[in-house]
Amino acid sequence: MAEMATARQLGMAVCHDCHILVDWPVLAAGERAHCPRCGAHIHQRKPNSIRRTWALVVASCILYVPANLLPITITSSLGDVQADTIISGIIYFIKSGSFLIAMVIFVASVLVPLMKLLILSGLLLSIRFKSAWRPKERTRLYRLTEVVGRWSMVDIYVVTILVALVKLGALANIDAGPAAGYFAAVVVITMFAARSFDPRLIWDTIEEKHD
Amino acid sequence: MTDEKSDTRSAESAPRAEIRSGRSFSVVWVVPIVALLIGGWLTFKALSEQGPVITITFETAEGLEAGKTKLKSKDVEVGLVTRIEMNEDLSGVIVTAEMNKAAESFMREKTQFWVVRARVAAGEVSGLGTLFSGAYIGCNPSKDGKDTRQFKGLEKPPVITAGIPGNHFVLKSATLGSLDIGSPVYYRGIKVGQVVEYNFDERAEAVNVRVFIHAPYHEKIRQNTRFWNAGGVDFKLDTTGVTIDTQSLVSVLLGGVAFDLPDYLEPAEQAKENQTFRLYANREDIEQRSYTVQHYFLMYFDQNVRGLSSGAPVEIRGIRLGEVIDVKLEVNFDDVTARVAVLARIEPERIDTIIKDQVAENGDQQSAPTQEAMENLTQLIGKGLRAQLKSGNLLTGQLYVDLDFFPDAPPVKITQLRGYQVMPTLPAPFEQLAQRVNNILKQVEKMPLAEIGQDLHKAVNTLQTALEAAERMSNDVGQVAGEVSQMTDVVKQEVLPGLKTALDDFQSTMNSIEQTLGPDSAMNHTARNMMSEMAATIRTMRSLIDYVERNPQSVIFGKEKEQ
Repeated sequence: MAEMATARQLGMAVCHDCHILVDWPVLAAGERAHCPRCGAHIHQRKPNSIRRTWALVVASCILYVPANLLPITITSSLGDVQADTIISGIIYFIKSGSFLIAMVIFVASVLVPLMKLLILSGLLLSIRFKSAWRPKERTRLYRLTEVVGRWSMVDIYVVTILVALVKLGALANIDAGPAAGYFAAVVVITMFAARSFDPRLIWDTIEEKHD
Repeated sequence: MTDEKSDTRSAESAPRAEIRSGRSFSVVWVVPIVALLIGGWLTFKALSEQGPVITITFETAEGLEAGKTKLKSKDVEVGLVTRIEMNEDLSGVIVTAEMNKAAESFMREKTQFWVVRARVAAGEVSGLGTLFSGAYIGCNPSKDGKDTRQFKGLEKPPVITAGIPGNHFVLKSATLGSLDIGSPVYYRGIKVGQVVEYNFDERAEAVNVRVFIHAPYHEKIRQNTRFWNAGGVDFKLDTTGVTIDTQSLVSVLLGGVAFDLPDYLEPAEQAKENQTFRLYANREDIEQRSYTVQHYFLMYFDQNVRGLSSGAPVEIRGIRLGEVIDVKLEVNFDDVTARVAVLARIEPERIDTIIKDQVAENGDQQSAPTQEAMENLTQLIGKGLRAQLKSGNLLTGQLYVDLDFFPDAPPVKITQLRGYQVMPTLPAPFEQLAQRVNNILKQVEKMPLAEIGQDLHKAVNTLQTALEAAERMSNDVGQVAGEVSQMTDVVKQEVLPGLKTALDDFQSTMNSIEQTLGPDSAMNHTARNMMSEMAATIRTMRSLIDYVERNPQSVIFGKEKEQ
C-alpha cells in the first residue's frame, strides 16, 4: 500500500467532470476550487459525504416502514376491493405458485432496498469507527449497491404499468396505493445516498492507520 | 469530518493554511426530517384511526375470511375481520374484528351485525355483489344501549330502518301467515313500508309483527287505522257469490300487509311509534269487526237448515246486520223432538237511527250499550220482529237469516236461554206453503172415504137389483106377450083389462127406475159429487208427493207444530 500514492497525498485533485489532474491549492475560508479547464467544482473528497449519506440513509430507513406496511396496489375486481402490501403480494404469488415472480418481486422490492440500507449503514459505521476491516470487500459492496440500486425501481414500474393497463372500470381496476410513493422515495433516496457516499473514505482510514 | 480533519500538508507547499470547518448543519438533513415527519404523521394517523376490537358470535362463519372480510355499514367500510375461531362449546363461531375509529361511537348494545351473502327472498335479490367479492358483515349502527365490545350476530339480515324517517308499528295476529321479514306494506296499493321483525308472544299466544312505515305515509296511521293481511288471493264463496280480493302480484306471491281507514270512520289522532294494532285476516274483516258493540241471540228453527253455515249473514231487509256464529241440533229425548239452535251475532251499531244513536251517546265503547240494545231488541220483537231462513243463493243453496217485521205474527213470550236472548222465528215462506198443503191433506184425511165407498157400493147394488128386476120384468113381458099371442083371441076379450093393469104396473115400475137412475136422481148427484171430490183428492195427493219428494224429512218431523 505504501507504494501507492493517492492524489491527495500528492497534493493534487482530479476534476470529476473532465478528469484533469490539478494541483490542489490551499483554500481560504469560503473559497472553492474550480477546474481550470472545464470550470467544474473540484474537491479532493465529496464534501459532507458522510453526513449527507447518513441523512439520506436515515430518511430512507424511515420511509421504508410505510413503504412496506401500507398497500402498494389497490385491486378492485367486481366490487371486491383488495389492498395489497408488497409482502402480501409476494405471499399471494407464492400461494398461487408463481415462485419466479415472487422471487423477482422479493429481491427487487424487499431484499435490494434493505440490503442497500444495511450496506450503506455498515460502510458509514465502519468509517465512523475507522475500521480497517477488508477495505476491498467493502468497496465491492459499495459498488454492488450502486449497480443494483436502480433495479428496485422495477416494482414501481410494475405498479405504474399495471395501473395504466388495468382500467376496466367495475370489472377490474388497479390503483397505486400510498406505499408506492414511499417506496419510490426509498429507492431514489438510497440511490442518492449511494452517490453521496465517497468510497475513497474507506481507503483514507487505511492510509491514516498506515501513517 | 474527514474534510475538516484533512491534512493538507504536502512536500511542495510550505505555508499551512487553516481551513475552517464548514457549516455544521447540512441542508441534506431536511430529507430525513421530512421523512421523519411523514413517518410520524403516518404513525399518528394509524394510531388515532385504530378503533375498538370487537367480537361477534355467529352460528356459522360461512363466507367469512380472517383478514379479508370487511364490516360495512351502509356500504361504508367500518372494520375488518382479524380472526375467526370456534366458541367453547363448538356451537358457533366467534369473529374478532378491528373497527375503525369512527365506529367507536356506535359500539353499543343495539348495534346489529349480520353476514351479507347473496340472498333471494322476499321479493328482492340482494347481495349479488357478494357472489364475486365474498361475504361481508353488515352493520346497523345504533347509539342506543350500553357500550359493549361483545355482540351477537343476526342470522338473517334485518331491515335497516335506523335513521330513515318513518315509524314502527306492532301488529298482533293469530298466525304469521305468509308474512316474512321484508314483506311489503301497502297503502292503497302503494308500497309504503315493510315487515322488519316478527316474534311469538308467549303470553298472548299470538304473533307480533313489527312493520316500518316510511315517511310521509306513517302519518296515515291513525289510532283507528286497520291493518289486514293482504297476502295471497282471498277467494270466497258465499251468499253474495264469488269474491276475489288481492293487493298486488308481489303480495299474492310473497304475502304482505295493507292498511286503510274504514270508510265510515273519521281519521283519529296520529298513531305513535310502536303502537300495537290488530292484524285482520282480510280486507272484509276490517269493515265487519269494527263494530265495538256486538250482541248475540239464539234462534230455534224447526226446519231443514242445510246450507246455513257459520258466517252466513243476518240481514234485515237486505242490509247485513251480523252473522251466524254457530248452528247446532238440539234433541229433547223426553218428547223426542229436535230443533236447530242458531246462534247469531248482530252489531247494533249497523242500525243507524234505531240503536246507534243511543250507543254513540254512551261513548262508542263496549260499556253500557248492551243493556240498551237488549231492551231495544225486546221492543222490536214486541213489534213483530221475526227471523226467517231464506235462500240467499239459488246456485249454491246457501241460506241466510232474514229479520223482518210481521205485525200480524202471533205475540211471543220474550225469553232468555243460556244467557242469550231468543229471537222468535217464523217458518220460511215455502215452509208456510207446505204447511197449507199439509192442512188440506189433513182435511182430506178427515173425509169419510170408507163410508162414501160403502154408500156408493150400496147404490150400485141397488141399481143392479133394479136392473135385474127390470130384466125379469121384460122376461115377464115376453112371456106375457107369448101368452098373449097364444091366447090372443081368448085373452083379447078376457085378459085385456088384466093386460091393461099389467101395463100400468110396468109403467109404474119404469117410473120408479127412472126415479132412481135419472139425471135428477139423488144417486146420480151423489156419484158425481164423489167423482169430483176424488179428482181433487188426487190433485192434492200429487202436490203432497211432490213436496215429500223434495223434503223427505217432513215425513219424520211433520208439521204439527204449526199453529
